[in-house]
Amino acid sequence: MPSLLTIPSMLLASTAWPFGIFSEDKPAHPLLAQSKDYFDRLDKDRPLKDYEFVVMDTELTGLNVKKDEIVSMGAVRIRAMRIDVESSFYFCASPTRDIPKISTLIHGITPSEAQKAPPLEDALLEMLDYCGNSIIVGHHISLDTGVLNRELKKHFGGVLHNLCIDTMHLARVYKEGHWTGSYEGYNMEFSYNLRNLSREYGLPLFAEHNALTDALQTAYLFLFLVHKLQEDSVWTLKDLCRAGCTRRWGL
Amino acid sequence: MFGQKKQVLQALDTDLVVEFLQKTLPFNELDYSTLSDLAKHASIDFYPKGTRILEQDTSQVDFIYLIQTGGVKLYLQDKAGEITLKDYRGEGSTFGALAIIQGSKSSMTVEAVEDTFCFLFPKKSFLNLLRTHPGFSQYYLKVFSQNYIQKSFDELRKEKLSPKTEGSLYLFTVKVNDIIRRKPEIITPVQNIQQAAQRMSDLGIGSLLIKDEYGKIAGIITDKDIRSKVVARGLPYSTEVERIMTSPVKTISAHKVCFDALLDMMSNRIHHLAVQDGERIIGLITSHDILVLQGESPVYLFKEIMHQHRIERLYEISMKVPLVVRPLIEEGAKANNITRMITILNDLILGRLLALLEENLGPPPVPYCWLLMGSEGRKEQTFRTDQDNALIYQDPENEQKKKEAENYFNIFSQEAINHLVKCGYPLCQGGNMASNPKWCQPLSVWKRYFSNWVNKPEPQEVLNSTIFFDFRPACGSMFLGYELKEFLRSLVQGKDLFLRYLAQDCFRTRPPLSFFKNFIVDRDGVHKNRLDLKARGLVPFWDFARVMALRHGIMETNTLERMEMLDREGHIPHSLFVRARESYEFQMQLRFINQLKLMEAGEAPHNYINPAELTDLEKQTLKGAFSVISDLQSFLKETFKLSMA
Repeated sequence: MPSLLTIPSMLLASTAWPFGIFSEDKPAHPLLAQSKDYFDRLDKDRPLKDYEFVVMDTELTGLNVKKDEIVSMGAVRIRAMRIDVESSFYFCASPTRDIPKISTLIHGITPSEAQKAPPLEDALLEMLDYCGNSIIVGHHISLDTGVLNRELKKHFGGVLHNLCIDTMHLARVYKEGHWTGSYEGYNMEFSYNLRNLSREYGLPLFAEHNALTDALQTAYLFLFLVHKLQEDSVWTLKDLCRAGCTRRWGL
Repeated sequence: MFGQKKQVLQALDTDLVVEFLQKTLPFNELDYSTLSDLAKHASIDFYPKGTRILEQDTSQVDFIYLIQTGGVKLYLQDKAGEITLKDYRGEGSTFGALAIIQGSKSSMTVEAVEDTFCFLFPKKSFLNLLRTHPGFSQYYLKVFSQNYIQKSFDELRKEKLSPKTEGSLYLFTVKVNDIIRRKPEIITPVQNIQQAAQRMSDLGIGSLLIKDEYGKIAGIITDKDIRSKVVARGLPYSTEVERIMTSPVKTISAHKVCFDALLDMMSNRIHHLAVQDGERIIGLITSHDILVLQGESPVYLFKEIMHQHRIERLYEISMKVPLVVRPLIEEGAKANNITRMITILNDLILGRLLALLEENLGPPPVPYCWLLMGSEGRKEQTFRTDQDNALIYQDPENEQKKKEAENYFNIFSQEAINHLVKCGYPLCQGGNMASNPKWCQPLSVWKRYFSNWVNKPEPQEVLNSTIFFDFRPACGSMFLGYELKEFLRSLVQGKDLFLRYLAQDCFRTRPPLSFFKNFIVDRDGVHKNRLDLKARGLVPFWDFARVMALRHGIMETNTLERMEMLDREGHIPHSLFVRARESYEFQMQLRFINQLKLMEAGEAPHNYINPAELTDLEKQTLKGAFSVISDLQSFLKETFKLSMA
């Protein structure tokens, strides 16, 4: 099941870059504008513990960035490189389309539950408020931000400018680093699925396919990878971007 | 910024923390709302293996750390850089509490020994819990007391055993008043030590009470005081008794039962109590007076065994062994002492049995020696251990003598085994008994057996023969057994292939915890949900001690003694030895008490324990004990250069 969510979406990744494209229909919401301003000038030379991260995961009606909609979203905050347990975020949205049966099977949110949820617009605003100027972290995050940005553009005339870190990228860098110099070579069999990675690294495992627990799972993975990649040196944000940024960063 | 912020917000994370806390000591005793309050202030941090989380004398401790997964070690480093390992903590354990409670810097360095995730709770929340929840603070007081292990032993003794045997029943029925043997001897403080000693020896007693100028009892002097405070320190005999007396005198009310008196003595570590009737001191009792009450004393049984002239009488005497042992456990004897006591009594019974058998069958044609193997060989018998024995006799000079010897020892061992069964020692399922012709052989054949095992080791053969390497001569012409031992010692030297097989065998059993994780219990069969303490907990220690002892030419068979000698001769790290000894003793004790309980409930003793029936403290101690097994195995891996098993 999990592979349904991640593997095909990796193929979509290259087409899912609506960052920074300003909508011509509406002026961007002040929150989005403010965050763009912040990230344009962000000093990336400080150690990681000086930044705030929001680790997020969304459950979608499918894997198509252009069509599929958000069913739920969960996020946890990392401050001083520690997961802040109280400051988590979750919403369940009501999609305009019916939730396909297959996706209900995965994330367990039934169409009737989804119908009871508040409108997406309200939830998105709260999400923007929650994310603020934090750096966004996610597992294969471009799928989530792709859909989010489509919705943000529709409702608020702008997209996220937050720096995005992909734990899947980090995992690959970590793995390849491990393989460098090893006669085994690149292991094509290796799964970058969130669950499999967590299991391989011996992380605590949480319930699957709930946006919040998946976000938490991703946060654990993020902490693990960042510490492991740093080894003895202390990373700045710039170092992290080199390893896990979702787009080429103008360094 | 956008009004009604919490509208769609659901904090599910705290539930995850609460769930974890509910499974964790001592948080499990707190109610849900307290826990969820605590969880709100939690954060989660990750420490890769090797991270120093806290530094001794340097780190300010702002959180109490609860380990979610992974493990840490706590150690002290002195000025010379010498490191003393203090503790390992794993999943569900906390650290940082002591520093917070004392308001000091971290007293030890805490280092992650695995990739470790921790829940961090702020100092303030923790202190608040200590203040508002007495049970919670009690736990930490308990943990901090130095004799943590000792506490678990005490708990085992107190909670698992309800008094039952006749001996201990006396303790609960006989009043202190009834065991006073004479009026107390009282002297005045102005008397000097020599006068007091004179008085004691005239009366043949070991203690005197001393009254003050108002006629009240002020103190007591005993034989021991005179020995340790006067003679040992070279005080003049003219010293006034007042200067060396113990004061005040511990008293006990005359109508209390002897058990209370014994408890008082044990907890105060004294052997004398003054008996009080109202205001009056009416006598003095000693620990000896109380022990005399217990009819089934080892000495009593010893005499009974030695005076038997009919083998059949030994059957019932051997049944009394558990009765002798029980009071020992109640008195706080460690398992190792108890197994030695059982071993001595069993050896006595065996010796008497074989001597009587020789009288019946006539003298043996050649000298022989009865060998004990397995747990009997290691002097680690519990109540009903299967027979593991063998017989070795001197090589007969000629063919005729050989026939004679074969016939004699065939009958001899057969009868001995039958009598032993009637004494309550079950047959060995594997047929490792002297009645098996294969194990009833002259010395030369035994030497050949060992040579084959050691020189041409076949993995399976080695496995099957491990119990033989724990053999010990028990009765008969002991020199034959010792000769075989000496032969084995020189045989094994440098036989790396053989030793490696033995070492490899130690990895058959994985420690019951994959490093601090939850207990692994047997999933099916009769002993569902129970833990095989012998196979999973004790066998690794036996295996470890055996292979290391053989490697270093140590011919002792007892596991603890083997480890002590290995430590003394510097073959194993001292810290490993200390931890191994503690955890081995604790497990032996646990097994012991479990078996005793089963026997008293009329069931056959076995080695399974149900983790759910253990107290939390015992569980923690047992978890700690199991973690030692991994260390023993890694040590073997290094020593024998074994690849990952």
